[in-house]
Amino acid sequence: MTAFRRLPSGGRIDRAAPVNFTLDGRRRNGFAGDTLASALLAANATLVGRSFMYHRPRGFLAAGIEEPNGLFTLGEGGETEPNIPGTMVDVVEGLAAKSQNAWPSLGFDLMAVNSLAAPLFQAGFYYKTFMGPTKGAWMFYEPFIRRAAGLGKGSYERDPARYETVHEFCDVLVVGSGPAGLAAALTAGRSGARVVLAEQDSLFGGSLLSEHDEANEAWRTSALVELKALKNVRLRPRTTAQGLYDGNLAVLVERREHLKPDPRKGEARQIAILLRARTIVLAAGALERPLVFSNNDRPGVMLASAVRTYLDRFGVAPEKRAVIVTNNDTAYETGFDLAKAGIAVTIADHRATIAPELLGRAAGLGMAIFPATGVADVEGAKSLARVRLAGAHAAAVECDVLAMSGGWSPVVHLSSHGGIKPRYDGKIAGFVPGGFAPTHFGAGAMLGTFGLAAAVAEGREAGRRAAAMAGFDKKVKDVAAPDIAGGRAYSILPAWAPPATGKGKAFVDFQTDVTVKDIATAHQEGYQSVEHLKRYTTLGMGTDQGKTSNINAIALMAGHRDLPLASAGTTTFRPPYSPVAMGAIAGRGIDRHFRPTRLPPLHDWHKANGATFIEAGPWLRAWYYAWAGNSPETAYVKEMELVRKGVGLADVSTLGKIDVQGPDAAELLNRVYVNGFAKLAVGKARYGVMLNDDGVVLDDGTTTRLADDHYYMTTTTAQAGEVMSWLEYLLETQWTDLKVHVVSLTDEWAGMAISGPKSREALQLAFPGADVSNENLPYMGCLDILHDGVRVRLLRLSFSGELAYEIHLPADYAISLWEHVLKAAAPLGIKPYGLEALASLRIEKGHVAGLELDHRNTLDDLGLGRMAGKDKPYVGRELRFREKLQAEDRWSLVGIELLEPDKKLRGGAILFAAGDEIKGHGRGYITSVTWSTELGKFIALGLYRGGLKHEGAEIVCAYPLKNEQARARIVSPHFIDREGARLHA
Amino acid sequence: MLERHSALANVAPYRSAVLQLAEARGFSLVQAAVFSKDAEKEISNITGKLPAKIGTALEAGGCTLMRVGPRQFWFVGAEGDGLADKLTGVCAVTPLSHSRTRIFLEGAPARDVLAKGIALDFHESAFKPGMFAMTGLHHTPLLVHCLSRHRFELYALRTFAVTVWDWLTDAALEFAG
Repeated sequence: MTAFRRLPSGGRIDRAAPVNFTLDGRRRNGFAGDTLASALLAANATLVGRSFMYHRPRGFLAAGIEEPNGLFTLGEGGETEPNIPGTMVDVVEGLAAKSQNAWPSLGFDLMAVNSLAAPLFQAGFYYKTFMGPTKGAWMFYEPFIRRAAGLGKGSYERDPARYETVHEFCDVLVVGSGPAGLAAALTAGRSGARVVLAEQDSLFGGSLLSEHDEANEAWRTSALVELKALKNVRLRPRTTAQGLYDGNLAVLVERREHLKPDPRKGEARQIAILLRARTIVLAAGALERPLVFSNNDRPGVMLASAVRTYLDRFGVAPEKRAVIVTNNDTAYETGFDLAKAGIAVTIADHRATIAPELLGRAAGLGMAIFPATGVADVEGAKSLARVRLAGAHAAAVECDVLAMSGGWSPVVHLSSHGGIKPRYDGKIAGFVPGGFAPTHFGAGAMLGTFGLAAAVAEGREAGRRAAAMAGFDKKVKDVAAPDIAGGRAYSILPAWAPPATGKGKAFVDFQTDVTVKDIATAHQEGYQSVEHLKRYTTLGMGTDQGKTSNINAIALMAGHRDLPLASAGTTTFRPPYSPVAMGAIAGRGIDRHFRPTRLPPLHDWHKANGATFIEAGPWLRAWYYAWAGNSPETAYVKEMELVRKGVGLADVSTLGKIDVQGPDAAELLNRVYVNGFAKLAVGKARYGVMLNDDGVVLDDGTTTRLADDHYYMTTTTAQAGEVMSWLEYLLETQWTDLKVHVVSLTDEWAGMAISGPKSREALQLAFPGADVSNENLPYMGCLDILHDGVRVRLLRLSFSGELAYEIHLPADYAISLWEHVLKAAAPLGIKPYGLEALASLRIEKGHVAGLELDHRNTLDDLGLGRMAGKDKPYVGRELRFREKLQAEDRWSLVGIELLEPDKKLRGGAILFAAGDEIKGHGRGYITSVTWSTELGKFIALGLYRGGLKHEGAEIVCAYPLKNEQARARIVSPHFIDREGARLHA
Repeated sequence: MLERHSALANVAPYRSAVLQLAEARGFSLVQAAVFSKDAEKEISNITGKLPAKIGTALEAGGCTLMRVGPRQFWFVGAEGDGLADKLTGVCAVTPLSHSRTRIFLEGAPARDVLAKGIALDFHESAFKPGMFAMTGLHHTPLLVHCLSRHRFELYALRTFAVTVWDWLTDAALEFAG
């Protein structure tokens, strides 16, 4: 009968520090140093989970990260984290764990009825069963299946914990702190290299933690003392190397739950460490694998290494009797330690010949050894009753635990992340790294080297080579290996298939409930490659990603296919090595830190003066102001009226601004704009359009000539960065002979538009010393003045179609000047207007903006074709004339006016000709829409097939999302002041 | 009278016993760009020195001189130092004093705070006093200048200064109080 107890002494737990925690609400006890698994096992809680599909009772199989059965949900509310192996959880005061996948309880799980229907649940069951009768059947079944099968459930509540990201650099990263890792870290550390030693466990030592050899412990302790004393070595416990990427980027995740971090104090629960290492030593060890036999999943059947770990590290032992079944030597160490603790041990060894040294030690400890013997079956349901042995010593043996060892699988995950496939090594009956990247090194069990002295030697050499490659090649004192007995070579007899005598299920993948029979079925049905096998049976797809199951499955399939195991291949190893919390991936990139917010220099004024804000790309812009109303629908109309009839002030600081200087500045502009800039007079501005090298419109804006060799370029808000990059790209790679420098001034200069028929008057009030008359500052003129000692640039430009100016000045002075303008022009009724009005005014005027300049339209599409210089070259000129870009039926810019006053036009509405069937993509769409204060109706800009050839035609604007249709008419996009009289007033 | 208004005028201050984090106002920043080595010599005659390499700043006459590109330099001096005027005619001169908000971090945890957001090696052996790096923080461009073992000055784009400040104070939360 499965039974465990805590030994009165021994282990690495602190018996003076008891810890209370709960499981399913019931109070439990453990000690500091316990894992959830060891504390439960010490309390003889051997039934800890129900299996994924059959809901079979399960206990802990392992003691480490490979645990497939003992998964728990930790935490409450938003902190809920499901599917955490109890073997990886430190018990801390207040820990609340819940068991999973059982209802109403672990002991009595109604879904265990699934076991009775087991013949149905064969490989490919879901595919075969739920694909019909109709096409949508799967969608119907899926929620039920997911509820019945399963793992734990996450929470939809917000996780209050804090997660962080940190960048680290080092010369040598050592992954794993077993004997090989410690030796590597010490050697590299002694060389002076900056070393990071990452260990997923809470303690350093790897396999050394699961034994109690005094000499080995002394070696481990002294190694750690030295490592801690080395200032160039950083020890990172509870830190799992989850992935290796190009450029020697290792992603490590550190867990700090045991510290009970307080997010309000900035304490992180987990930290993702993006570590860039010059070289990497992989000493990730190996994982023991189960043997496959009937009922090998019963609680009490465990990996031999786990039994040893629970005994030696946590002081938790089976009650009286243990049976060990093995095909290799390492399980004997478990037997020796158990026997020394007073447990009666029987070893069934698949091999007929066993090393005399092992036999001698076993005899000395009173152990029974049965060579050429395996396990036929396990009796018992929720716990182990007896083990039926088969082979040379067929017998039924009662015991408390069955410890099994099918050999060891090197952890080849990290060495494979870069695409190097593992290779099969017959000597250890396992896969080893197929090679290493030039800056990666391996050592110890992950290379298939089992044995302490050899691991230390390999670690030492890997550490030396890694440090030397990183530039630290001075000779250092050798790391001595611990003084150990033996030196026996590792011996294993592969045992993949179960004995034929067992009648129960023989599990290959414990977590996803895949049995030997499922693999046979997959083979029979043609899913024979390991990748197909995985997807057809779900083998290796659980949260443990088949750490204990993959090789057994591959071997079984190879057997069915009559292939040597070396030819069967493995599935692809991809990061992460173990499940990672989404929070750790997101780090602090949440809420307001999800993306940066860009604030114009006038932001603080807007905020203090009733602006409502709207996001425009990264910018937060003043949308409308409280003086005009409390909703955008009403406010922007009032703000438009202010500009059309009086004078308004708008923040246009978001416009891109670029300083262009140098003897070839005019030449550069002449090449990038379709229209000429070389002859532009100093003190004058010009509207210009740029194409990209596909001949499609990139951006527009005005550029002012400040001096012969100096221009001030403005771009649209949306394309500011792109235009800047484009100019730099051209100057640095294509036109390196041009003597021009470009510098972004978007942050240096603030801009404000003063618009409306009274704007000149307002400007004069604000700058009484400046001559802003029509003669001195005509349309498209520029005037640099000094105001209170500050250089201020006045540009006579108009986005609204009214008489208007832009005032540009160094950003820190923007608020002060803005307030000055508002105060000085107050007698004229000046008020601020926001982005909504700004954008609506330009629609009335028919100016294209970001919504029309969407990188798909040509000059002609936008009605700007006549601007292009006929004789001068410019970027995009040749490709602009491609046949398709000149087609007459291209979607081109039109104005649209609504014909049904009781309806609305909507941005994005699909346009159809009157009489068209309202279906599909139509003949175009609305890009921008507004209520026109001048016309008293909704108007829009849009792109329509054939464009203004259809001027006057009636169309239908369909908005399927709201099931709306509205009649409208194609008109000129210039709704107001076509002659431009207002601009030139 | 026009008054300057900092991008960080309204942010909440950061307080910590071990780390200072605040705006360092009152500086002049000029970008100078040349088309020839001769122009570099001329600049050098005005500034006293000129760095040959990107990444290490020089100090001369109260001004910090940084080469920020193969032909571009940043000169950071006291507010109103008039350097831009002195350079006019010698090279392409672009005043940028308003384009950047300067934030300093000072204290033992300063390097740890920076490492949370910048993929640069801030180890004392790698990023030494006098060195600077043009990098990014929270998706925005940033220049980090190491003034001493524990003091750094960050030049953030003015329009992103608040977001950078928010990010920094959040990253430094564990050292606050």
